[in-house]
Amino acid sequence: MSPELMIALIAGAALFGIGIYGALSQTNLVMILMGVELILAGAMVNLVAFWRYLHPDVAAGQMFVLIVMTVMAVEMAVGFGVAIARFRARGSVEMEEAVELKG
Amino acid sequence: MTVQAFFIGFFGLAAVWFGIVVFRTFSMMRSALALLFSQTALGAMFLSMQAEFLGVLQIMMMATEMSIMAIFMVMFMMDPGGLGEMEMTHQKRLSLIAGFVSFVGAVAVAVFVDWGPVASTFPDATQQTVELGLELLDRSMLIFETAGITILTAMIAATAVAIEPEKKSVTDEP
Repeated sequence: MSPELMIALIAGAALFGIGIYGALSQTNLVMILMGVELILAGAMVNLVAFWRYLHPDVAAGQMFVLIVMTVMAVEMAVGFGVAIARFRARGSVEMEEAVELKG
Repeated sequence: MTVQAFFIGFFGLAAVWFGIVVFRTFSMMRSALALLFSQTALGAMFLSMQAEFLGVLQIMMMATEMSIMAIFMVMFMMDPGGLGEMEMTHQKRLSLIAGFVSFVGAVAVAVFVDWGPVASTFPDATQQTVELGLELLDRSMLIFETAGITILTAMIAATAVAIEPEKKSVTDEP
């Protein structure tokens, strides 16, 4: 395997791990969104690396990256919408206080 | 090691380092800026991998997105400057274990899977953009259009959720 592909995959794995830690450990809604952004960033690095080093002739690889970017934008838009609604209703976006969401 | 591998490693390291800083600082502004730098380093990594279009798109998109995020941080955080050094984490141990296991698992897959031969030829920047354009308007058109409609729906949904509900005045009641 080429060293470039290996380095990119390891960086992607590290970003994914940091994102998982952030999404699970943070109590603030905006910080949780940041963790999810890092998870998606890790996935994106892998997609670009696979396209570049394994199948550069298939443009669908780049298209997948665009779809992940779309998911990032959608996640942000909806997340901030929810944050505004929550802040208006309860005066805080701390998820520790969102006990009514418990099943 | 090639020059390309060096730059991919350098920007990859920068992206990971700034990713760690996001959750290590108490200042929310610093968190948002660290995420911006992490995503920009990622864009630079794409450029190092000769994916010019995606690299530039990533940097432009994330610069805008993270600027908006910084504004939201200041709006919603109780201590945006981080001067109070407020603890904003829970289940830290479980999260660390989950993050570490995810990292080790993903690295194990990267190392032990046989990915096949590395491509010997690679299209130049112009050819890449032409091929992506043709892909988006030909075989993947439905997926591309679906992504557009999804963004539009998300924008409308986010605005609808965020709008303050109209208060019923006493005189409106019959």
